Amino acid sequence: MSAVIAEGTQTVNMLTAIKQALFEEMEREPGMVCIGEDIGILGGAFGVTEGLQDRFGAERVIDAPISEALIVGAAVGMSMRGRPVMAEMQFIDFISCGFDQIVNNAATMHYRTAGKVSLPMVIRGPSGGYGGGGPYHSQQNEAWFAHSPGLRVVCPSTPSDAYGLLKTCLRDNNPCIFYEVKELYRKREIEEQIPGGDYTVPLGKARIAREGSDLTFVTYGNMVYFCLEAAVKLAEEGIEAEIIDLRSLVPLDDEAILNSIKKTNRVIAVNEAPMTCGFAGEILARVNEYAFEYLDAPPARVTRTDTPVPWVKPLELAVLPSVDDIYEAAKRAVNY
Amino acid sequence: MNSKRSVVANAGDKGTDTEQRPLRARDGLSEQDHLEILKQLYLARYFDVRLIKEKRRGRLRGTLYSSHNQEAILVGTLYGLRPSDWISPIHRDMPAFFLKDLRGNWDNDDRMGMSIGEVCAQVWGRATAPGRARDNWSHIGDASKGIICSTSMLAGTIPVAAGVVYDAKLKGEDTVCLTYNGEGSTSQGVFHEAINFAAIHKLAVVTIIENNQWAYGTPLELGSPVEDVADRAKGYDIPGLIADGQDVLDVLDKTMWAVERGRAGKGPSLIECKTFRAYGHGDHDDDRAAKYRGADEVEKGRSRDPIAVFKKYLVEKGILTKAEAKKYSPEGKHANETTDEDFPPDVVDIMKKGVEFALDSPLPEASEATKWVFAEPRR
Ligand SMILES: Cc1ncc(C[n+]2csc(CCOP(=O)(O)OP(=O)(O)O)c2C)c(N)n1
Ligand SMILES: [Mg+2]
Repeated sequence: MSAVIAEGTQTVNMLTAIKQALFEEMEREPGMVCIGEDIGILGGAFGVTEGLQDRFGAERVIDAPISEALIVGAAVGMSMRGRPVMAEMQFIDFISCGFDQIVNNAATMHYRTAGKVSLPMVIRGPSGGYGGGGPYHSQQNEAWFAHSPGLRVVCPSTPSDAYGLLKTCLRDNNPCIFYEVKELYRKREIEEQIPGGDYTVPLGKARIAREGSDLTFVTYGNMVYFCLEAAVKLAEEGIEAEIIDLRSLVPLDDEAILNSIKKTNRVIAVNEAPMTCGFAGEILARVNEYAFEYLDAPPARVTRTDTPVPWVKPLELAVLPSVDDIYEAAKRAVNY
Repeated sequence: MNSKRSVVANAGDKGTDTEQRPLRARDGLSEQDHLEILKQLYLARYFDVRLIKEKRRGRLRGTLYSSHNQEAILVGTLYGLRPSDWISPIHRDMPAFFLKDLRGNWDNDDRMGMSIGEVCAQVWGRATAPGRARDNWSHIGDASKGIICSTSMLAGTIPVAAGVVYDAKLKGEDTVCLTYNGEGSTSQGVFHEAINFAAIHKLAVVTIIENNQWAYGTPLELGSPVEDVADRAKGYDIPGLIADGQDVLDVLDKTMWAVERGRAGKGPSLIECKTFRAYGHGDHDDDRAAKYRGADEVEKGRSRDPIAVFKKYLVEKGILTKAEAKKYSPEGKHANETTDEDFPPDVVDIMKKGVEFALDSPLPEASEATKWVFAEPRR
């Protein structure tokens, strides 16, 4: 069986793109191991690893006991000997159960050993709200890890980026937390063809998801599409928004943010996570440091309220950012 | 090692009572108790069946983790508890919320358990749910009813149970806390951390393991090196009992042995109830489960329906005639094959009222979404 799932001109959804990257990297790196709950026999809760164990065997595709600390810690142990490891969190919310192994062990290993030990490991898992998952199946908790020096933090929004970034992260030599927005896994409208020829996407390089001249949205993940929708509304009023899709938060593409602000002079940072100490706050802090003199309006952010994500729809939608929230923040900036 | 300690109810006892007092809770049951237990089994089954049907009709949101075939564990563990005891049910234990303190208390909504209406309101995501539908399905609790509100994080309630019992102990109360867990959850570090503490301090925490052989798509042997999860108790020098999870009275006996032992200040126990998961992990998994579990395995696993097992016992004891036992027979049937005629009318009726209560209840208002993040200061 060939590792290639989608070939030639076929368009694929984000889930298939991720699956394809995994198959190809497992093929390319005969030493690579995948570990996670229900990733083998079942093929993963969302089916990302479907067929992986059949293809590469149970030794390389491990159905782990339900213990996130074990999964992460074992990934540290294997990867410190040079073996690339993909560790899956069934939902990224459960990463909290492996927290210590990530922020204290994996994140600091290279530093503590004065560069002697590096960890080629990627912890990936489905994230994000809007699906009615409640407090423990809706989190977008990237800020926890961006706040832990030594970790790559990545959150793609398109199939190609997911594919190309996952490959880059698996070939990188640092522990990486890879957020896969589950609402985007099977989103039809974003299906696309994956560029051929061992396509990878570099870390720390933002993508301009929409060009515009009047204000800049800096965002990532699912919020890219919320900003795109808001931009369409704004365009009807003659306001052209630029959208920067960060793709990777650590490392962060400061230059892309600065260049866009130089052009638009207005910035709104948008993240799905809660406001306080969320990544949007980090973006605005940096903007104040390096782009202050280019700003014609106070930099602003749109985020979830500082609450958990409640379950039932009216409550969930009340706390998560909406297209209207983004549109209104943009209007305030433009009318300032 | 202190030899006295190792003699006392070692985990290796496989369910036999090694302490002198062979407590058999069933010996204290009246005929009425037996009939009540049967009715509770019907109720637990009917609740599940009804929700499966509602879900199929598209009337419910969220994942349904069926307790079908595992009801004897819920009824058997809860039946002998005192109203003041605590429990922490998890995803597969929805009926536990209303089975708590239900005995002889069907019409009393002030009892120390939730009403069926409240539990239905929770499932339907209504404002009358215990947590006003802020979290889904089994993530409900109420300290005033002795129910720990769980998160999704498996085994996460066991340390909380230890804290509850520690507090009760400080107050001079002999409260017991039952925590419910799947066999898969016994791999979590916090499972061991909490039992360790409970054992050190002799806390009356009874950890119920519903060993239904599967943790989502992962079979027992990939989650545990020991076939009897009860053996995990050995490391903590506490009793690890094995109960027949299809036999409500065996579950009751073992539970009450552990409960009374805990009340007497002798510490925690672990009870492994052997059972089998009837359907997929959740209803979203039914189709995939049909691929990763063989039909033979499922048929065998479901061959001892807890309702059938208990009815047989009741007939043998002369509490039911064969004809009476046959009257309501959901046993062995898939949820979709059952009808209301398979259940006693009062069971159907109480559930009907619960569903009506839920459907008549409003959804929570969006405006309350940001409330209750913080409590008011203590006075
Ligand atoms: C910490 C954590 N990791 C993963 C999950 C996802 N998850 C929910 S239920 C489940 C399987 C549980 O199996 P088991 O404990 O045997 O209980 P059962 O569902 O069989 O009753 C998993 C992996 C979770 N809820 N919490
Ligand atoms: Mg199980």
